[in-house]
Amino acid sequence: MDTQIFDMHNIDIAWCPGCGNFPILKTLKQALAELEIEPANLVLVSGIGQAAKIPHYFKTNVFNGLHGRALPAATAIKAANPALTVISESGDGDMYGEGGNHFLHTIRRNPDITNIVHNNMVYGLTKGQASPTSQIGFKTPVQVGGVFLEPFNPLAVAIALDASFVARCFAGDAEQTKEIIKKAIKHKGYALVDIFQPCASFNKLNTYEWFKKHTYYLEDSHDHSNKNEAFKKATEEEKFPLGIFYIKPDKKTFEENIGIYQENQQPLYERKPNTGKLHSLIETFKFAD
Amino acid sequence: MCGNEALAEAAILAGCDAYFGYPITPQNEIPAYMSRRMPEEGRVFVQSESELAAINMVFGASATGKRAMTSSSSPGISLMQEGISYLAGAELPAVVVNITRGGPGLGNISPAQSDYFQATRGGGHGDYRTIVLAPSSVQEMVDCMLLAFDLADQYRMTVLVLADGILGQMMEPIVLEKKPSRELPPKDWALTGAKGREQNIIRSLWLGEGVLEKHNNKLKAKYEQVQENEVLCEQYEVDDAEIVVVAYGVTARIVRGAAAKAREEGIKVGWIRPITLWPFPTEQISKVANEFRIFLTVEMSAGQMVEDVKLAVAGKAPVVFYGRPGGSVPTVDELLDKIRQLTLRHEIKI
Ligand SMILES: Cc1ncc(C[n+]2csc(CCOP(=O)(O)OP(=O)(O)O)c2C)c(N)n1
Repeated sequence: MDTQIFDMHNIDIAWCPGCGNFPILKTLKQALAELEIEPANLVLVSGIGQAAKIPHYFKTNVFNGLHGRALPAATAIKAANPALTVISESGDGDMYGEGGNHFLHTIRRNPDITNIVHNNMVYGLTKGQASPTSQIGFKTPVQVGGVFLEPFNPLAVAIALDASFVARCFAGDAEQTKEIIKKAIKHKGYALVDIFQPCASFNKLNTYEWFKKHTYYLEDSHDHSNKNEAFKKATEEEKFPLGIFYIKPDKKTFEENIGIYQENQQPLYERKPNTGKLHSLIETFKFAD
Repeated sequence: MCGNEALAEAAILAGCDAYFGYPITPQNEIPAYMSRRMPEEGRVFVQSESELAAINMVFGASATGKRAMTSSSSPGISLMQEGISYLAGAELPAVVVNITRGGPGLGNISPAQSDYFQATRGGGHGDYRTIVLAPSSVQEMVDCMLLAFDLADQYRMTVLVLADGILGQMMEPIVLEKKPSRELPPKDWALTGAKGREQNIIRSLWLGEGVLEKHNNKLKAKYEQVQENEVLCEQYEVDDAEIVVVAYGVTARIVRGAAAKAREEGIKVGWIRPITLWPFPTEQISKVANEFRIFLTVEMSAGQMVEDVKLAVAGKAPVVFYGRPGGSVPTVDELLDKIRQLTLRHEIKI
């Protein structure tokens, strides 16, 4: 499939020149095209932020909701129509800060969705405050003395919660990022793809060069079924590993667990209310004459 | 120094011990300023992980008897409503600044007055009130902050300061001066350690038959006191006015310009500018409402304060509304046109 099928024409893109969101946009389109996922069968669900604008630049079904709340909406969309490919995508502030609670509980719930996080270690849209993943010492107009909070480690948290797929990429490496995103989308169950994304305007510390210098790919020998090994890799700080850290195959998804699909595969959105059942229920409340 | 920064410095002058906030446009100058100045003063600044955290940090700090505040913009204030309801139930003082933007939902970041209902009716649950101050200049942003902390402590209530992005960005000369503060009751309810006294309990849970009703009636009596004593509004050339324009905040500035031009044309226009949106200047408006005048309410909304104006006028005069919702700002000429139309429609003699 040609990636052009996802292209929007005559639109203004709000991102700055040199923004790491551009390669992510391109890579995601390529990944989807290679997987032959039709725009009609795809929903991009996002919160609020620069990263969360990505659905606006995509010709497909778009749900742009509240700051921090993309994951609950994505879970519901997938449950209503499990045939859809659902991608929930936002920045690190959105997913790990404002939406941190939803991040934890969506992993526990395990809907069959892909959660892509553009991790630029800063609040981009609001012009440069520290985000939950900002590095210690990072100076901003608000964190004037530098960040002193321990950065949030999304991968370690996801692995600790036994997330079904946990990966990290770097926007500067389109080829590998594309392959990882493809695997994440194909994976059955919740898949986290945290993408290191340079912010050209508000993060002068974590630049393309910095990420190149401070990352490496997990060796082929990395056993992504080994939780302890994955956790160890996720907590490395000297250099940040990239690649697929952890896969927990055959984990039951939320859609499989909820009662509605156990006997009847018809998607929820197509079902008509069972008025017969409702009437007989109402009858039971009536007093006998 | 822009309006947002002046407001922040005023909070420091008012003795704000702790500031908690989460980034959102168009008020980011407030946390940026506070993040620098509060540590300089040996006070607390925290960027929280969400607005829910921020308002609950205010709740906690206030419980210890310290002066605490937060600031945000419309969607963030929506998230804080739960906390504000609990603060009201627990009768704790707090100052909350809303530098508004257009809604509903994410809307836009343009100035808007569409949070009037949220501010004056309370977006949270339960029978409660918050005092709402609506400055219309940078100096008044300063004055409102000084007043807000005192009012909050005096009545143990949340005081909301409602401004918008225009005021937040505006630069005007200001005087930063602490006026003699009113006599404030001791904070004998604060959590300061129970050594040598009965323990203090901060809560908003009132079980038991009739207990909550009693509590609500106590709150009601307090709110009535606020209504009696704390109304602030400005009036100008109302005495002979055939058209009385009611507007607050930045809109009132535009109204002032339009009214002056209308007077030049011989149209008798006066205006009333509520500074406290709750308590609303109901009596002040009611007093000047009679069949010889028309009331024109101007808002940057689809019509919210106009309901309070109608309640105040109580059918004694026609109440007309002119509004620009969605973050659009009316111009002086636009309002002048509206005023001219009114003179035609109601055959007001010039
Ligand atoms: C309830 C609420 N609070 C705050 C905001 C303001 N806001 C918009 S985006 C954003 C975070 C942006 O950072 P991030 O999610 O990391 O995305 P980026 O812009 O860096 O891509 C914030 C705080 C909002 N829109 N709604």
